[in-house]
Amino acid sequence: MLFQNKSPIALYSWFSTVFLLGSMGMFLFVFVYQSIPGLAHSKLSFITGDVWYYRSELFGAGAMILGTLLVAWVGLLIAVPIGIGAAIFTSEILPAKLRILVKITIELLAGIPSVIYGLLGVLFLRNWVYKLLTPFDPLSGDTVLTAGLLLGIMILPTIMTMADDALRNVPAAQRLAARGLGLNRAETICLIVLPQARAGIMAAILLAFGRAVGETIAVFLVIGRQDNRWPESLFSLRPLFEAGQTMTSKLGGSEVNIAYGDTLHWGAMMSLGLVLLIIVGLVTHLSARLIKCGAVHA
Amino acid sequence: MYCGQRIIASLLSFWLALLCWESHAEPLKINGSTTVNLPVAEAAEVLRGKYAMQIHVDTQGGSSGGISMLGENQVQIGTSSKPLSVSDRKKFPAVNFQETRIGLDAVALVVSRDVWESGIKSLSKLQVRDIYEGKIKNWKQLGGKEQQIVFFNKEPGRGTWEVFAKWLYGDTKLAPPVRHPEVGGNEEARTKVSSSRGAISPLSSSWADGKEVFALGIRSEANEIVYPSTQNILANKYPISRSLYLLTNGPPMGNTKLFIDFMLSREGQALVSKHGYLPLASGQ
Repeated sequence: MLFQNKSPIALYSWFSTVFLLGSMGMFLFVFVYQSIPGLAHSKLSFITGDVWYYRSELFGAGAMILGTLLVAWVGLLIAVPIGIGAAIFTSEILPAKLRILVKITIELLAGIPSVIYGLLGVLFLRNWVYKLLTPFDPLSGDTVLTAGLLLGIMILPTIMTMADDALRNVPAAQRLAARGLGLNRAETICLIVLPQARAGIMAAILLAFGRAVGETIAVFLVIGRQDNRWPESLFSLRPLFEAGQTMTSKLGGSEVNIAYGDTLHWGAMMSLGLVLLIIVGLVTHLSARLIKCGAVHA
Repeated sequence: MYCGQRIIASLLSFWLALLCWESHAEPLKINGSTTVNLPVAEAAEVLRGKYAMQIHVDTQGGSSGGISMLGENQVQIGTSSKPLSVSDRKKFPAVNFQETRIGLDAVALVVSRDVWESGIKSLSKLQVRDIYEGKIKNWKQLGGKEQQIVFFNKEPGRGTWEVFAKWLYGDTKLAPPVRHPEVGGNEEARTKVSSSRGAISPLSSSWADGKEVFALGIRSEANEIVYPSTQNILANKYPISRSLYLLTNGPPMGNTKLFIDFMLSREGQALVSKHGYLPLASGQ
């Protein structure tokens, strides 16, 4: 059946698909190939090592991976409760016309370029966080917390729209049946609708996590870009109040310029990009599987 | 099918038109140091008005960005506030780097207002080295008030950093790994120093306006304090100074030569001193 249709449209779509897959494949291949020198030099210490100093050829991305995860975690901590709460409000409580209005506004917010968020962060958020953290004596307003807060605001619209879609996917018949059995609105939402929309909401959270992990310019402007800060204890809050570095803020910085032409340094930068690619790829894949799961259930 | 053919035909003609338009005029592209950018950007404005030249000036990646983009033939002129090193030349063996000096600049250590007003007006090289390596962590240890020292290090590859590290250690390769927040160009350094308490950072001296950030003097071994003023830099008394360069691949020709000749002319050198740097004619 695949090869029977020989119309120009079919041929064109075949050609486009092959071209797309081929170019993406080549891109990935070149990427992995160029990161081999970096990985071969550092081996496992690339991920576990915490010192990154290219002048002594030390490439340990551990502190950066931790920074990425911390920043994304703070962002999710803010965006998930507020986003799901807003989604419940728009899908269950607002009348249809208002719901469309609110959804359009939120989706506009999701489309704002991240550099705008970054600039607002530099203009306002940095100074607020600096004043807020005065009892903890931070170095400046550039901290992991600032970057996390900014990311939280950025991924909030994503979580809200996708959670709203997931909640809407639960059939209306379920809500009617619940009302018929005597459950009030709060109980319907908490006990009937939310559990059934669980897969879609998990997918929303994962996708937002993927975006938070990959966000470059907003994080670059407010995180302070301080290398090699491995906290004394993984459970302390101290790293949040200090400047840090994420994988994206390192890749978005000037070291890429310096690394060009130097096989080892360039390989290390490519390896960093590869680690980032793998994390985002895994998260996106999981998210897609969950959406499919959710659709099957509904 | 008919509609599809129309769409394809219009797309193709649009692309062809774009190609023709692009190949018509080759703009002069300049990229590099934020320090050198001040007079260069204004010179570009003047030349655009005078000769209707198309000039693009950018500051991506600082001095290193200027060198690497010139090496990759993405720009015709690279601006740099540090001299070319052997490793720079080795990275781009096919490129014949030519340096044209257009002025002189000093790197000052600037502090925020609260540090200046608490009495810290100068530092010795040893004290700066201890701050950089994290051995001195509080301004109290240097005679100021109780306030932790926030050293904003410059990104790797910045001309200002290389001059600073060379002054401290003699060779940038001898600089140890440190843990400090980083800033990029001169603008970012000044913004962050002025908005943080207890902050200090290396900055091109002409950017220290004395209103938001304040330039410290350097105390020599003979206990003589030298401030980065024009006279001291000219007399070679201020220790951290550097030349400002325009880099080209081979001897400059055409529009590139026009631009460089302008920068070396009286008008161009007036722009250099207008922005707080020292023009060449001042005996260097």
